[in-house]
Amino acid sequence: MFGKSRSVAVALAAASALVLSACGGDDGGGGDADSDEPISIGIIADLSGATGDVGTPYNQGMLAYIKWRNGDGGIEGRQIAAESNDYAYEVPQAESLYKQYVNDGVVAIQGWGTGDTEALSGSVGKDELPFMSGSFAEPLTDPAEAPYNFVVAPTYSDQMRVALNWINEDSGGSGEVAVFHNDSPFGQAPVQDGEDWVAEKGYDLGYQAYAMPAGSQNYVGLLSQAQAQGAKYIVIQNVASPAALVAKDIAAQGLDMKIVCLNWCANELFIDSAGADVAEGHILIQPFAPMSVEKPGHEPINEYLEAEGTDPETIGTSWVQGWYAMHAMAEGIEHTLVEGNELTGANIRESLETMGPIDTGEVIGGGPLEFSADSHRGSTSTGIYQAQDGMMVELEAGATP
Amino acid sequence: MAATATGIHHRSYTSELRLRATRAEYFRLGLMTVLLLVLPFVLDNYWLSIANTILIAVIGAVGLNILVGYTGQISLGQGGFMAVGAYSSAILSDRIGLPTPLAILLAVLLTAAVGVFFGLPGLRLKGLYLAIATLASQVIIEFLVRRDIGDFLTEGLGYINVDRLAFLGFEIGGRDVFEQQWYWILLVLAVLTVISARNIFRTGLGRSFMAVRDQDIAAEAIGVNLTRAKLTAFAVSSGFVGLAGSLTAHYSEVVSWEKFTLDVSILYLAMIIVGGLGSIAGAVYGAVFMTLLPELIRRLANALESTMPFLGDQLPAVRNATFGAVIIAFLIFEPRGLDRIWQRMKDYVRFWPFRY
Repeated sequence: MFGKSRSVAVALAAASALVLSACGGDDGGGGDADSDEPISIGIIADLSGATGDVGTPYNQGMLAYIKWRNGDGGIEGRQIAAESNDYAYEVPQAESLYKQYVNDGVVAIQGWGTGDTEALSGSVGKDELPFMSGSFAEPLTDPAEAPYNFVVAPTYSDQMRVALNWINEDSGGSGEVAVFHNDSPFGQAPVQDGEDWVAEKGYDLGYQAYAMPAGSQNYVGLLSQAQAQGAKYIVIQNVASPAALVAKDIAAQGLDMKIVCLNWCANELFIDSAGADVAEGHILIQPFAPMSVEKPGHEPINEYLEAEGTDPETIGTSWVQGWYAMHAMAEGIEHTLVEGNELTGANIRESLETMGPIDTGEVIGGGPLEFSADSHRGSTSTGIYQAQDGMMVELEAGATP
Repeated sequence: MAATATGIHHRSYTSELRLRATRAEYFRLGLMTVLLLVLPFVLDNYWLSIANTILIAVIGAVGLNILVGYTGQISLGQGGFMAVGAYSSAILSDRIGLPTPLAILLAVLLTAAVGVFFGLPGLRLKGLYLAIATLASQVIIEFLVRRDIGDFLTEGLGYINVDRLAFLGFEIGGRDVFEQQWYWILLVLAVLTVISARNIFRTGLGRSFMAVRDQDIAAEAIGVNLTRAKLTAFAVSSGFVGLAGSLTAHYSEVVSWEKFTLDVSILYLAMIIVGGLGSIAGAVYGAVFMTLLPELIRRLANALESTMPFLGDQLPAVRNATFGAVIIAFLIFEPRGLDRIWQRMKDYVRFWPFRY
């Protein structure tokens, strides 16, 4: 009897040892400056989670940039090999992917959400991996707090400040502002800074924050609270789909309120989901120039789209964001290689901090990006747009707080 | 005592009390030990990180099983209790500056106390009603750590960065050895957890837990102090859960509320249901299974992506669906979980060629 169970057990052990050893990873990425191995980058993307509506085009933009750049000869003759996986906006999934990328020997990581970027900021600091993400939360710009995080756009807080400046002007100096935010670290990021800004500037604006319950089918309840507050302006820090619902509810209720969308709802997707009539007149704070506003930085994108046979009309701002976030990373890597340094996370970080302005063809905040050893805030300026006839029309380029 | 084809026969009380009775059991124990010792040398860092996640899950699942599986008190507050352990240990060690082992110990005690507090409704409530009461503990704790009123917990940052684990002059190293060193620490703690939990149920206290589960009125009639048994069960269980929480904090080096949501409570419940309610080994199997499952699904989906692209596109949905299907399948086909399946496999081998 024992003989049997023993041989089964031994067989099992042998089989599992075989499986386990097969799981061994390989060391890609890094290496000498003059090697021609591909440069491996890990991408943590939200394709199917709570922010997948803008996360998917963002990811597509990144992959498109990599394809374009590789077709163009890569970075200093080396191809970019990106691993991209969906984490469904769940922090533990992001952590698991991060560990996988570290193990695979990536030299840099492109992340997505605020919660997971913050959760990983300690680890990327210790593992010395430059990390850019779709999150523009203020704490990530401070190298003392998050040494390897780089923020490629004005922070949510800066965008909120620009929004409040605009509201102050538009309202003639007094009014009530309701802030509707995603109920997560992403949504909460600019809320307190906005309140402080009103106090600091001495604006005569009422300021009240409301968390938007996840998965809500309508926001009539929240709007009635905002109405009780007397709000004429609703600043939304959320992704496009829920923001579009708010716009629809405002229209359906016949309320006299103007939406000011920050970043992730300030895009064509918001206008299209709400409908051009409903979106008409709402304000969009968007640091990345949409395709409809032609900037020099859109040229490589147009080139690429033409080669791919894609209609530029179908390309939203989130896609452009992904493209240029990857561009910033690629420029840092290129500088490291040009300088003849070994391609490590620490060297890429140093390049990003010391290389001076990164040209974005006026796409990001109407100017270049620049990082320094004291600040990883790439830019403070953002465009202000208005939804007019279903298009994003530029009101102001390069607005700063 | 030797096993025979007809079963295991004990000839003395001591032999009955033994944890292992047959040579096959000792052999499997040896095999398991060798496997666990060899693991960090054959796995790469990524798989080791999964092994480490499993070891933490083992501690948490064993803790939960003490309460749910052994004492019959359903708890949906797992995530909340883990949060208590994680936040208190991170604050005690990093902000107040206590040595990490002491901080973890205090966190365990604090979580046990919080567990007792939220276990109080258990004195009056049973079954589904208690489940709802513990759900309240989850929601309350989650609310507190999420809103962080007065910025006491995270100092306005929204999360706590935890320093790399260091104690007695030893510090966990860089990314080459990080997972391996953690593996040894977590392995020791997980093994201690399993051994001590296993032994609780050989004592009067542990038996009183089971008596409460099986029939609380009868238990009271034979002299079990229900109040004491239930509250001790909450304390012991929450203590282990707090340990899992504080280890999560130090291992992942960041504490944010997003890691302690209701989903976590449900995941842990799923672990012990799939593994086997009322079985320490079951909790271990469940933790291994439920941690590996999403990983294996992802690998499978990636491998099949060329032939079945929808699997890759809809991966999280596929994963959730599989999760649900697995739990339902276990409830239907083997409510006593993986542990029972393993028992049956052993019996099959032992009794072969007879069926029983």
